[in-house]
Amino acid sequence: MQAVATFTRVNQPEIAASANFDQLYRTHGERMKSIAYNHLGSVSDAEDAVQETFLKVHRAMSTFTGEASFSTWAYRILINTCYDHLRRRKRRGDEESLDDTPVERMANTVDDTKRMMLRRLLEALPEQRRSVFTLFEIEGLSHAEIAEILGISEANSKWILFSTKKQLQEQWRKPQ
Amino acid sequence: MTITCERIDDLLFEGDAESLALAGKHAAQCRSCREKLDDWHDISTTAKSMHVTWQNDMLWPRIQRSIKPSFGWMRIAAAIIVTIGISASVWFAAHVRVSRDKAFDQAILRATAMDDVERAEKAHVDAIAKLEKLAAPKLDEPQTPILVSYKEKLMLLDDAIAECQTNIDQNRQNAQVRKQLLAMYSEKQRTLRDVLREGANVSNP
Repeated sequence: MQAVATFTRVNQPEIAASANFDQLYRTHGERMKSIAYNHLGSVSDAEDAVQETFLKVHRAMSTFTGEASFSTWAYRILINTCYDHLRRRKRRGDEESLDDTPVERMANTVDDTKRMMLRRLLEALPEQRRSVFTLFEIEGLSHAEIAEILGISEANSKWILFSTKKQLQEQWRKPQ
Repeated sequence: MTITCERIDDLLFEGDAESLALAGKHAAQCRSCREKLDDWHDISTTAKSMHVTWQNDMLWPRIQRSIKPSFGWMRIAAAIIVTIGISASVWFAAHVRVSRDKAFDQAILRATAMDDVERAEKAHVDAIAKLEKLAAPKLDEPQTPILVSYKEKLMLLDDAIAECQTNIDQNRQNAQVRKQLLAMYSEKQRTLRDVLREGANVSNP
């Protein structure tokens, strides 16, 4: 498992070089796309969100204070960008699309029906619960890392995960 | 240590390996807690399988273009100039040589002449298809931004060619559209040659 805590802190002159964006993409691009995909349920929307995130990071480099690690900051922007997409979609009354074809799963031994069911249950969750569950259970981040990204306490992250899983568990065996 | 059903939630909240092992020990003797724990693990296993990786990644070139606006504008400007150039050539070919074209059009609009034209076009298209096959490995996984832009240009040209072809299918004697189609095929041929040249540069720096 690759931890967010291992991200290097990058100072501003370094960030300014596009080579660092290349490095950021090579190191975190895959996970960023997976996070976006699991929030938005569509490959093209996920790619748009990641592209938008890089653009926002590029534009807002002057506001980066260095309090959090650069990558944690980028992940925070990504999550907020995903929320913006979801809100826009909700305003338009669009259904969440589920185009699964151009991606590969880490484990294909799990029943697709279960995956579909879990995705449907996640769609119905409030944003923060969905993010905590996605970052911990799907992406394997620790509560400390999630707390830093979402701007909540570690204990809060742990509680949100527990109550979300309890909620999912209650619906898990019910026919959808 | 004896674990009761009431403590299962506390253990699940902790969520560490030791707590889950204790919960498992209790669940082995308690049917309702076993079901609960099975679902808990099932949800986690399903969630882990939802991490995805992309089969074909074209995103980085897109990001590069978006974070380098000046470079992006230069490319857009270049694309506009190329498009205007092609359009001007087609317009010039179509309008300056009107008198000669009239006579030519009269002849070419005859059915037998049309067949000849179509045969020649087909040979031209086949030659381009061969060129396209040679360039395909470079275009499937473009290694440089310029190859990515060639790929995009070729996709645009293919769309335009398909549109022209549809128009020709509706009226096969439309010489104007045929000229446009020919210009597009020529542009495609030039681009494919550029791709092969660029591809050669990439593999043999």
